Amino acid sequence: MKAHRVVRGLLQNSSFPSFLMLVLLIILNAIIQPGFFSFQVFRMNFMTFTPLILVSLAQATVILVGAVDLSLGAGISLVTVVMASLMQNSTLSMVLVTALGVAAALFLSFFNGFFIGYIGPPPLIMTFATSTMWFGTALLIMPTPGGHIPQAYYMIYGKTLAGFIPVPVLILLVAVAFCLLLGRIKAFRHLYAVGGSERAARASGISVTGTKIFAFLVSGVFIALAALCVVGQTATGDARSGQGFTLNSVAAAVIGGIAFSGGKGNYVGAIIGGIILGLLINIIYFANITSFYQEFMKGIIIIVALLFGAVPRLRRELSHH
Amino acid sequence: MSNNVRPRLMSTSIRSLASNQLTIAVASIIALFIFGEIIAPGFLSFGHLMSVLRLSVFLGIVALGQALVVMSGGEGIDLSVGSVVSLGVCISSSLLLGKDANIPAALLGAIAAGFAIGLVNGVGVSYVGIPPLIMTLAMASVVDGLSLIYTGGYPRGTAPKLLEALGSGRILNIPNILLLWVVVIVAATLILFRKRWGAILFGVGSNSITAELSGINVKRFRMFVYGICGAIAGLAGFFLLGYTGTPYLSLGAPFLMTSIAAVAIGGISLAGGAGSYVGAAIGCVLLTTLSSILVALRTTESVRQIVYGSLVFIIVVAYTRRRKE
Repeated sequence: MKAHRVVRGLLQNSSFPSFLMLVLLIILNAIIQPGFFSFQVFRMNFMTFTPLILVSLAQATVILVGAVDLSLGAGISLVTVVMASLMQNSTLSMVLVTALGVAAALFLSFFNGFFIGYIGPPPLIMTFATSTMWFGTALLIMPTPGGHIPQAYYMIYGKTLAGFIPVPVLILLVAVAFCLLLGRIKAFRHLYAVGGSERAARASGISVTGTKIFAFLVSGVFIALAALCVVGQTATGDARSGQGFTLNSVAAAVIGGIAFSGGKGNYVGAIIGGIILGLLINIIYFANITSFYQEFMKGIIIIVALLFGAVPRLRRELSHH
Repeated sequence: MSNNVRPRLMSTSIRSLASNQLTIAVASIIALFIFGEIIAPGFLSFGHLMSVLRLSVFLGIVALGQALVVMSGGEGIDLSVGSVVSLGVCISSSLLLGKDANIPAALLGAIAAGFAIGLVNGVGVSYVGIPPLIMTLAMASVVDGLSLIYTGGYPRGTAPKLLEALGSGRILNIPNILLLWVVVIVAATLILFRKRWGAILFGVGSNSITAELSGINVKRFRMFVYGICGAIAGLAGFFLLGYTGTPYLSLGAPFLMTSIAAVAIGGISLAGGAGSYVGAAIGCVLLTTLSSILVALRTTESVRQIVYGSLVFIIVVAYTRRRKE
């Protein structure tokens, strides 16, 4: 009887379907990708997984509060462009420009959060508009990909610390530590309250505006880290380098069990969602699909993943009502 | 039965707000034309006015589908329209191969492809419960991929004479396609405000539960609205080929942001259930005039993107503020 209850609790956990999918995909990847469990492949995989996981966390944060951020991809592009157009070879310049890049990402998120919090336009259309603005600005600064990222800077991303911690994994650990820290902050719990029911949250004395701005700022931290990863990966500034992240982030968050209605889901799910998407993209890459079909397959896989993510949740929702 | 879901029930404040917004939009168009005449003499001429209106038609057709999806509520939006327009262009040109006799096949091909894609969107949104935004965004990348696979990267074929005459020809100095648009505007307005279908659309959009209770299959209805939006986007691709003559892979891309902007400018509530196509059409003319000004100012793509983005941003913020007051 007790075991039955444990099993049922497990099955009803919002991350369970994603976890099942994760195990399945790891098996599939192990078959397709040569040396999947070797350290080298692990390191290479996390160079692409880390930014995906980070944008998934960023998107999850704003979805939890009941919003969405469609400008995330364009924001990442803009940060890479700003950094690549300013960076010099000196260490001081690298540090300053990195700080500036982080500040830029935070500002872009704050801009979205400020208007969505104070004035309350639909987040979807608001961030779609800012997405176009960020993209245009990035294109204005750098009409064609380029700029300068010193070798000493972008090589950091591929390094391995202490012989066993690749830098991308370290960045991820920093993000996880940040998540754990957030869990202890009261304002973070308000995120769930506001996402669940704005009216109820307001009635219980929570500042809805403040919570929304807080959510976007937290999201901005993850976006900043993701942008640094993209700079390390591509070693250039490119007004289009972040483009794919918008869809990927929403897909990853939804796959990870973050409910689009807000207030439901957790960071564990978001991380799993990011890894799942990374593994899916890996499969397309290693299954030797010609480049023409890659875009198509990616879209199909995301839709199928959404179906899988939606079906167990739908069934649960139906049985609850 | 259809009477109690008529948009007439829409509160007068929303209605006055919408008409107020349209007045501002029309005034902006006039101001932009005067400004255009100052920076580029001849901007206000009849010929240029007609060419701006002609360019608005293609956006106007895409915006019709977008408007219907937005009106149908449930956070409805279609982010795949740009990609479907491109696919419509590619399918039309490859079926036409420059021959007038192939027009029926091409017309059918473009519409059917768009309808099928729209239906898939509709199933995902309505029956599976995937948020419209993400379903159609994912679909956009699928459709982009389809265009690439279908054409092998190089779209072939050209528009035949008859289609070119429709897309770029004129009768009495008025572009043919503009006359077609007038018919579309009248028909759409009649269907929205005088026919049962329009009443159901507003009913589903404003309150899906009441609509469901009054016997409407909301899920199926919404699914078909997405299908119609796709079909319209495919059709827009067909007409667009008549204007450009030759196909390109990303011909539809600029229509995505602008179709949503046109709907927002036109006072169509993004929450669904209210608005008119005339409003969206005015939005299309405003956006095309603006883009014409930006071209006259020799601005780059980047500045145009910033201007479009800022415009939608300002409209949405202003609209929300007023609604709050």
